[in-house]
Amino acid sequence: MSDNPNVAAGEYTAQVEAGIEVALPDHLRRLRDHLTGAFGDLEAVAFRGELTLVVPAGRLVEVLRFCRDDPAVGCELLADLSGVHWPGGTFVANEQETTGWPTFPREQEGRIELDYVLRSVRHNHWFRLRVNLPDEGPRVATATEVYGGANVMEREAYDFFGVVFAGHPNLSRILMPDDWVGHPHRKDYPLGGVDVEYKGASIPPPDQRVY
Amino acid sequence: MSDPRTPATTGSRPAGAVEPRAPREYTVASGEWQELPDAVEDDVMVINMGPQHPSTHGVLRMRLTLDGETVLHNEPIIGYLHTGIEKNTEYRPWTQGVTFVTRMDYLSPLFNELGYCLAVEKLLGIVDEVPARAQAIRVIMTELNRVSSHLVWLATSGMELGAISVMLFGFRERESVLDIFEYVTGLRMNHGYIRPGGVSSDVPDDFDRRVRQVLAEMPRRIDEFEDLLTSNPIWIERNKGVGVLTAEQCLDLGVTGPVLRSAGVPQDLRRAQPYCGIDQYDFDVVTTDSGDAYGRYLVRFAEVRESLRIVEQALDGLPGGPVMVADRKIGWPAQLALGPDGIGNSNEYIGKIMGQSMESLIHHFKLVTEGFTVPAGQVYVPVESPRGELGYHVTSNGTNKPYRVHVRDPSFVHIGGLPDVTRGLLVPDVIAAVASLDPVMGGVDR
Repeated sequence: MSDNPNVAAGEYTAQVEAGIEVALPDHLRRLRDHLTGAFGDLEAVAFRGELTLVVPAGRLVEVLRFCRDDPAVGCELLADLSGVHWPGGTFVANEQETTGWPTFPREQEGRIELDYVLRSVRHNHWFRLRVNLPDEGPRVATATEVYGGANVMEREAYDFFGVVFAGHPNLSRILMPDDWVGHPHRKDYPLGGVDVEYKGASIPPPDQRVY
Repeated sequence: MSDPRTPATTGSRPAGAVEPRAPREYTVASGEWQELPDAVEDDVMVINMGPQHPSTHGVLRMRLTLDGETVLHNEPIIGYLHTGIEKNTEYRPWTQGVTFVTRMDYLSPLFNELGYCLAVEKLLGIVDEVPARAQAIRVIMTELNRVSSHLVWLATSGMELGAISVMLFGFRERESVLDIFEYVTGLRMNHGYIRPGGVSSDVPDDFDRRVRQVLAEMPRRIDEFEDLLTSNPIWIERNKGVGVLTAEQCLDLGVTGPVLRSAGVPQDLRRAQPYCGIDQYDFDVVTTDSGDAYGRYLVRFAEVRESLRIVEQALDGLPGGPVMVADRKIGWPAQLALGPDGIGNSNEYIGKIMGQSMESLIHHFKLVTEGFTVPAGQVYVPVESPRGELGYHVTSNGTNKPYRVHVRDPSFVHIGGLPDVTRGLLVPDVIAAVASLDPVMGGVDR
C-alpha cells in the first residue's frame, strides 16, 4: 500500500512491480521468484539494485533456514544484522518539495525493522531479509540456531534497540555497560546536552538545537 | 630498625640476629575445609585476561574458564571503547560522517571512509558519475592502507609472541606508507580524505615518485620478514596448528577476510563485488588450506604483495581529470591547497567567492553548512577491508543527515568467533590465536 492517498492501491502495486523489474539484475529477479515461490507471503522491495524481502516475524527462522539449506539460494554467511527504528506518529510527506505536488499527512505506526543481510559465497549473490517489529516490546525468534555468527549481532541489536531474541543463549548487553538504562539507537532515546562553564549556560541536545 | 616484636638481643647472639618468634595461636573461622579438596580436584578456574593485558590488542577482556592451563571456555567482553560513532553520524550532514567513521577501525581508516562514501554515493545514485581519477586514487590509497594495516598486524602479533625485532621492523616499514598518507591527506591517520563524490583533493605532484619509491622498497622488506619468519622454528612452533577454524566454522560464524581465505575459501569482495573499478587490475586471491594462525600469516603476507601489484597497475594507468563529481549540488565546491597558514581552500577559489561571485558564496555557504539531501532508502555496501567484510548499512529518510548508519565491522564479528577459536588451547596459545584474528578494538566497539 502506498502512503500517498492520491495513488490508488492497484496503481501503486503495478508501479512497484514495474520498478522492481527495472531495478533488479537478472540473478536477483530469479532469486526473488524462487523465494516468493517457496514462501507465498514474502513482499519484495527493490532499491538501487538491492533485493529486500519482507518476512513475517513468525516465519523468520524458517525462511533463514531455507536460505541456508536450499541449493539455489545457498547463503552460507549471515553477513550483517542491523536495525532501524521508525517511531510512530503523524508525518507530513513532501513538505520540503517546491514542485507543487500536494502534501499529505500520514500516520505511521512505530516499528523497528531488522535487516538480515545474507550472502552466498558459492553463488556470489546477496540480499536482505527484513522483519518489521512493533517498537513496543519487540520480540522475534533467535537465528543463532541457523547462523552461529548471529550470536553477537543479536546481542548488539538487543543492546541498541531492545529487541528480545527468544531462545538466544546469552542475551545481554554487549557494547553498553551492563547496568545501562535504555536502548541508545532508538529514536526516542533522550540525548544529553553539554553543560558549558560560562554563566551556567548549557547546550541543548543535538536533536533540539535550533541553528 | 629492629622489629619491635623481637626482644632485644642478648649477649650470646650477635647483633642483628633474629630471635625465633614465640609460637602464636591461630584462630580459624568458617570451617569449610572439608569442601576444599573437591574444589582443588575440580581444578576449574575463571581468569580474567584483559582489558589491560598487553597482549589483547587494545581493551579486550576475555573471561577464560581454565582447567589447569587448558581453555574450557572463553567469553570475550567488549565495549570498553564504545564511542557511539554510529549514533553521532545521525546528527551531522552526510559529508561530516566521514570524519566519524574514519575513527572506528583506526588501522584501516581509508577503508572506513571508502565504505561509507560508496554507500552514500549508492543512495544518491551517482556511483557511475564518480570520476575515474578519483576511483583510481581511492584504490591506490586503500591498497596502501592494506599494506600498512597488515604490517601493524605483523608488528603487534610479533610483539605479543615475544619477537621484538618483528615489532620494530613492522612499525618501521609502516612509516613509509604513513608518510605517503601524510603527504597526500595531511594526516597519518583519520584522514577524512575520501568524500562522497570523490576525494577531498587531488594528489600532489610528487605523489607518483614517492609511491614508486615505496613500491620499489617494500618487496625487499617483505622478503626480509619472510626470511626471518617463514621457516623460523619458534614462529612455526607458536603459530602452526593454533587457533584453527575450518571453512564451515568460518562461514557459520560470519568470519571473513584473511581468516576465511586461510581456511581455503577464495572469498574476496574485490572479486565478488568489485568497487572503484578494482576488477580491472590483475591480482590473485591467495588462500591456504591450513586454517591456522600460520596460514593467516602466509595469506596476509601474500596479500601485501598483491596489494603492491594493484597499486603499481593503478599508478601506471592513473587517468587525468577531476577528482570530484561534476554535480555542483553534491561535490565539495573547493579544492584544498596549502596556504601560508596551513591547508585550506585554494586562493583562487577564495578570491572568486569573496570578490567576484555572490552566487558562488551563497552556494558554498549552503553546501558547507547544510550539505546535500540524499533520497530516502537503504543500501548495504561492503568493501574488503584488511580484516574482512566491512559493510556499511546506511538508511536515509531524505534529509541532509543520515537516518541510521550501521557498520558491519569484521573485527566485531570475529570477536564473536573467539570462543570457538580458543577452545582447548593453552593460555599462551590464546594470545597467538587472538592475534591471528587481528581484531582492532576501535572497530569492534565503534
